[in-house]
Amino acid sequence: MTGAIEAESLSKSFGETKSVDGITFRVEESEIYGFLGSNGAGKSTTMMMLTTLLRPTSGSARVAGFDVVREASRVRSHIGFVQQENAVDEYLTGRENLALQAKLSRVERSDAKVRIDELLDTIGLADRQHDAAVTYSGGMKKRLDIACGLLHRPSVLFLDEPTVGLDIQTRRRIWESIRRMHREHGMTVFLSTHYMEEADELCDRVCIIDEGKIRAVGRPGEMKGRMGRDVITMEAGGSARRLADRMGTMRGVKSVDVRGDSVTAYVQDGAGMMPAIFGEADSLGVTIRAVSMSKPSMDDVYISYTGHQIREHGPEPRRRKRGI
Amino acid sequence: MSFGPDVYAIFWREMKRYRKSKSGVLIRLIQPAVWIIVVGNTFAGTKPLIQAAGFDGEYIEFMAAGVIVLTAIFTSIFGGVNTLWDRRYGFMNKALVSPISRSSLALGKMLAISTVSVLQASLIIGISLAIGVQFSDYAMIVPIMAVVLLFSLGFSGISVMVAATAKSQEAFWGIINFLGMPLFMISPALFPLELLPEWLASLAKLNPATYTILMVREMMTGVPSGVPAALSLGILGAFVAVVVVVAGWTFTRDVNRPF
Repeated sequence: MTGAIEAESLSKSFGETKSVDGITFRVEESEIYGFLGSNGAGKSTTMMMLTTLLRPTSGSARVAGFDVVREASRVRSHIGFVQQENAVDEYLTGRENLALQAKLSRVERSDAKVRIDELLDTIGLADRQHDAAVTYSGGMKKRLDIACGLLHRPSVLFLDEPTVGLDIQTRRRIWESIRRMHREHGMTVFLSTHYMEEADELCDRVCIIDEGKIRAVGRPGEMKGRMGRDVITMEAGGSARRLADRMGTMRGVKSVDVRGDSVTAYVQDGAGMMPAIFGEADSLGVTIRAVSMSKPSMDDVYISYTGHQIREHGPEPRRRKRGI
Repeated sequence: MSFGPDVYAIFWREMKRYRKSKSGVLIRLIQPAVWIIVVGNTFAGTKPLIQAAGFDGEYIEFMAAGVIVLTAIFTSIFGGVNTLWDRRYGFMNKALVSPISRSSLALGKMLAISTVSVLQASLIIGISLAIGVQFSDYAMIVPIMAVVLLFSLGFSGISVMVAATAKSQEAFWGIINFLGMPLFMISPALFPLELLPEWLASLAKLNPATYTILMVREMMTGVPSGVPAALSLGILGAFVAVVVVVAGWTFTRDVNRPF
């Protein structure tokens, strides 16, 4: 069976800059697949190639079974794309925005009416449908924009940073809308985000992308599990590096990270290891000024896959401004 | 083929936007209204000159046709500016990932701009009538509107083409202003070609606005323009056909280049 999205050594360069560098991945049907990365990691560029807006420099991709270059127009009739910038037409009302989308995607007029009513209900805009979109809040506009992406029942829905710049309550409402629409329509969702929480909340699988390359793919739960069960963070002043080196040799410690004066250790049994860690610190003559313990988050996962990579190049993460 | 409905989708959206910007309608009327009222009266004393060139009537009646075409020139050549906003703020990408073709996008925009242009021009006709300009035959208003629509289609094509390829807002306005004013000035809009210096008159004969003005003036006043209407219409039609094809092609090639 073919996947909903299949990318093969997909690359895009802008001049000298390799924005996306030979990525290969596969998204299964009906899956919510998250592309997680910082700004400039290559998420939007990838999405633009998959939605036929940019031509790959090399490699290939198939979306809904069609090649994004050779069969671009067939891809377009099977996808919905919700861009990072809100593309709601503010002069038009909510209902008119959906009607416009219906015309753009050639939905039959009679079907369109029923679907527009349904979607307005789903996104909770039924009572404001005749107001110009310029009067809507940021969250309402975003929900409307997402509904536009779904109106023609695409088999693959692309969401580029769906909640960027929104407050936490609004983000939760958007997530709820996305989950509800996914439950009702069962489409594949390809979502890019730089919010760990979003990837964790929504995605069946997460792909970590950094500097145009894929660093890891997996289910959020498994990825966190790989980190060890607990995260211990200690403030150790100038001796952080010495403490970290010693801890790296201890049994039960999966990995250790130093950021400034603090040491972060991913361990199997945090509570049980604590006395041993203090013992080692004592023997090194290092004073631990503060300690905290937590469960690993997607943050930790992300840092463990990209942080090391960044350190290989030097102490400071280097990011060039991409050409778009 | 769904070309027709696709073009209509874009046309529908543009017209919705136009209807909701009522203040814009009035603002765009100010400039042509000033032309016809101020310039029309300022140059009223040139009546003998105009008459010597074969036009038997008041100056304001002579130049009203010029102002109608002026309205059409500027409404349509500025009309593509929202293509720039669409490229910047998402709508363009939304349309580009939908199944409709790039050329129907361009044509939908051009038709909408031309319709707006005709609406604006009809308001100027209203103003002309209000200040006492007489038509030889009021039934001519319909064919005048048809000629204005055809002409506007050509100029909106230029505008949409420039907006689709411009690298920035500044580039768009630079090119459009560079084109707009000379296209109006180097024409018989304000004075008969017979009164222009030879070199300017020759240049004016290369300007599609010239033939449009001659046709509109002949229909308004009943005074023969010196160029047969069929020839003028042929030249205008050929110009519009070329622009529509080139604009559709350019738009398709360039519109989703990032800027």
